[in-house]
Amino acid sequence: MTQERFSAGPFGDVRVLELADVKGEWCGKLMADLGADVIKIEPPGGAPEREIGPFYHEEVHPERSLHFWHYNTSKRGVTLNIETEDGRALFRQLVATADVLLETTRPGYLASLGLGYEQLRALNPRLVMCSLTDFGQTGPWRDYLGSDLIHLAAGGQMESCGYSDEDVPGAPPIAPGGGNGWHMGSHYAYIAIVTALIWRSFSGKGQYIDTSVHGAAALTTEMKVPMWIYSRMHVRRQTGRQSVPIPTPRGQFLCKDGKYITTGGGGGRFAPPRLRVLAEWMDQHGFAEDLLDEQYADAAFIDQRQSHIGEVLERFCAGITSEQAYHGAQQRGFVWGAVRAPEDIVQDPHWDDRGFWTEVAHPELGETFTYPGASGIYSASPWQISRRAPLIGEHNEDVFGALGVDRAHLAALREAGAV
Amino acid sequence: MEEKPLTGFRVLDFTWVRAGPWAARWMATLGAEVIKVEWPDPRLAMNGRYGGADGGPMASRPPGVPPGPNSSGHFSDNNAGKDSVTINVRSAAGFDAVKRLIAMSDVLIENYSSQVMESWGLGYDELVKIKPDIIYVSMAGLGHTGRNHDYQTMGNIVQALSGLTHSSGLPDVEPAGWGWSYMDDTGGMYGAMSVLTALYHRRSTGQGQYVDLSQVAAGMTLLGPAFLDLDVNGRGSRREGYPAGNRAAWPGAPLVNNYRGQTVAPHNTYRTAGGGDNDWCVIACFSDEEWRALVQVMGSPEWAHEQRFATFAGRLEHQIDLDRNIEAWTQEQDKYAVMDRCQAAGVRAAPVQTNEDRVDNDPQLKARNAYVPAPHAVLGTFPLQNAPFTFSETPAVTDRAGPLVGEHNIAILNGKLGFSIEDIRAGYADGTFWPASVPIEPYLVAALDAHSAQGTSGHDSAGHESTVRS
Repeated sequence: MTQERFSAGPFGDVRVLELADVKGEWCGKLMADLGADVIKIEPPGGAPEREIGPFYHEEVHPERSLHFWHYNTSKRGVTLNIETEDGRALFRQLVATADVLLETTRPGYLASLGLGYEQLRALNPRLVMCSLTDFGQTGPWRDYLGSDLIHLAAGGQMESCGYSDEDVPGAPPIAPGGGNGWHMGSHYAYIAIVTALIWRSFSGKGQYIDTSVHGAAALTTEMKVPMWIYSRMHVRRQTGRQSVPIPTPRGQFLCKDGKYITTGGGGGRFAPPRLRVLAEWMDQHGFAEDLLDEQYADAAFIDQRQSHIGEVLERFCAGITSEQAYHGAQQRGFVWGAVRAPEDIVQDPHWDDRGFWTEVAHPELGETFTYPGASGIYSASPWQISRRAPLIGEHNEDVFGALGVDRAHLAALREAGAV
Repeated sequence: MEEKPLTGFRVLDFTWVRAGPWAARWMATLGAEVIKVEWPDPRLAMNGRYGGADGGPMASRPPGVPPGPNSSGHFSDNNAGKDSVTINVRSAAGFDAVKRLIAMSDVLIENYSSQVMESWGLGYDELVKIKPDIIYVSMAGLGHTGRNHDYQTMGNIVQALSGLTHSSGLPDVEPAGWGWSYMDDTGGMYGAMSVLTALYHRRSTGQGQYVDLSQVAAGMTLLGPAFLDLDVNGRGSRREGYPAGNRAAWPGAPLVNNYRGQTVAPHNTYRTAGGGDNDWCVIACFSDEEWRALVQVMGSPEWAHEQRFATFAGRLEHQIDLDRNIEAWTQEQDKYAVMDRCQAAGVRAAPVQTNEDRVDNDPQLKARNAYVPAPHAVLGTFPLQNAPFTFSETPAVTDRAGPLVGEHNIAILNGKLGFSIEDIRAGYADGTFWPASVPIEPYLVAALDAHSAQGTSGHDSAGHESTVRS
């Protein structure tokens, strides 16, 4: 390694330039929280992602976007107009110091500015450049525009998500919430980038990665594609459970507290000893009905009574809370889960045990907020949020100063609209 | 063969079902040697090899292929590029063989419930005694740390517990949830990301480590703005108008952000010609300019020029009329025609694509080599889902089908561990390398016989004693 490690995280010796919008900012955040020096390059005035709500105390303001806060922790932020000659010059200087350039601009755009991979590689042969775009750098749809909704439709997510007709007649296919099209693209970009960094550690060479959100989304439907490839089967949407070719029993039931429990599906299919355990638990709450009857020791009898057992199960769930159902089931070896909202999740001490929640100071507001933490606990190279998302141009002096740009020069560049 | 980016790394794959195998699959695509350590007892149907053998709804067994441990297309895709060895970890000889495999591997990845590896005597503390710089990634739903670590999960349970299920559906009815195990895909991604991150760190420092991944925690991080909204603004997600279906905001509900990007209209699904379950398209306009372009594409109808549709505020307020009018236009057309017309004018639109559409009709996925045909000795030749990325300097294509059970027994047991052909034959009989209760697959015996006939019963000189790049 030629550079000094500046953080204890696994990417403590990696500098990433992030010229990325909603498609790639999650990838940058994941690397930044694991120690990379991620420099987010925004246009003067700030990135458009700063306009995405919700906002701190409903203040629609580029420094108050909770979306921006979450997706840009641990990064440094600079402003740069790469459509100016001075801006491009600074960008080239930054590229010369970087290990990774993650960019999400439209195919051909950077090359049109003289900033394509071939030109940048000439400045830095060790550069790993990853282009994460809607549809990729090639193909008939390469210039088409995307959005989270567009990708969940074309990627196949919506084919599988929605309601059984008897539950919500005429319901459309549903795109699940949370911006997961972007997450899918960012996860594959992360895998490709880190792989290229590992290969570089042997070869000394950088490389160019071309990946797309559409390609990532189309890979993110579990067994649906194999079902077509090997069995020529289509699937049908069913409320709260797997979309499969044929109707299946309900698995998501309403509980006494108005929340739902996912019972793992299968309706009333239980092996006799397992049904006995379930029935004894139901009986403690007065809901066993006839399920303790000796006849249920016979698997063939259970088979006949499956739909009845499913109905008893549904009445039992309606008689207890979703958290009672979750813990009670798990303690007995049934793989169930409460359908939780964020306000339910924050009550669960399991996540405190894991140190999941992370306090992040916002000195500009004089406040500290609780952020979601890490997916995994790293034993040797800790994950951490090193700082809140950058303010607009917060690190211009640090980052450009390190390139030899003094304050007077920076002021002139600002005046000229380059930063 | 041209070198892939991770050629020379060796990964021991103790995964089962879906999320774990999907994680290790990417290591194979990227060039690592991935050894899947299996125990082929059909009572352990959750290993995924027998998925669909009953012809049930999960079937991915091609017509005419008899049920068996090598008949699942889904398994093959999910384990593409891996090698398979059958070892009984619970036998003394098998346990010793596994420990020797660990000693020559870079990574061990598993997604069992939390105490399984420890119960085998293969917890991290034991692993580092065998291989000090081993990278160990566990992927239990709730992780290995925390009071409920011994709870069990499947993909749909991970989605329920992480808040993802609640984020999907229409307001005022139950959650639609995710119609597949999104967190088996995405949990798998985090497994692969954790392995790669730890490998990078080891390249820089020489240090291995243990990553205690929780798939539920990974799911929670995907709902960051909702958690911040709760902490910063005190706003929970059990509220009027949430989740807002395919819209950015539900008509008539308070105009708050629903965590899927800008609050705009139009942003919805619309019926297209054909009348089938998936004859739908989506259209979203993120600027007034995009909206005006859509109006032009629709032929500049009179309704679209009404003042109430001129601004975001107006379009959001009058979404029901807006969407009804747009649908009257889309309903007359094929879903791909809507996409092509809109996109040609700079308007974001796409068809709702089925599995058939993606594999057979999507010209972009075709052009991007998304499905790569690969032969499989039992299934025949079928396309594998290929990587969505290309590297300029190193190939990384998913082009080898999943292994037959025990397909690499000789290469691994003999070639790497030094068991003689007769040792392996004995191990098939005594429950070390094949379950006594299960008829042995004929190709495993045939492979031994062929090997004996060649007279190479000793060490396979082609085998690697340790990893090239450790």
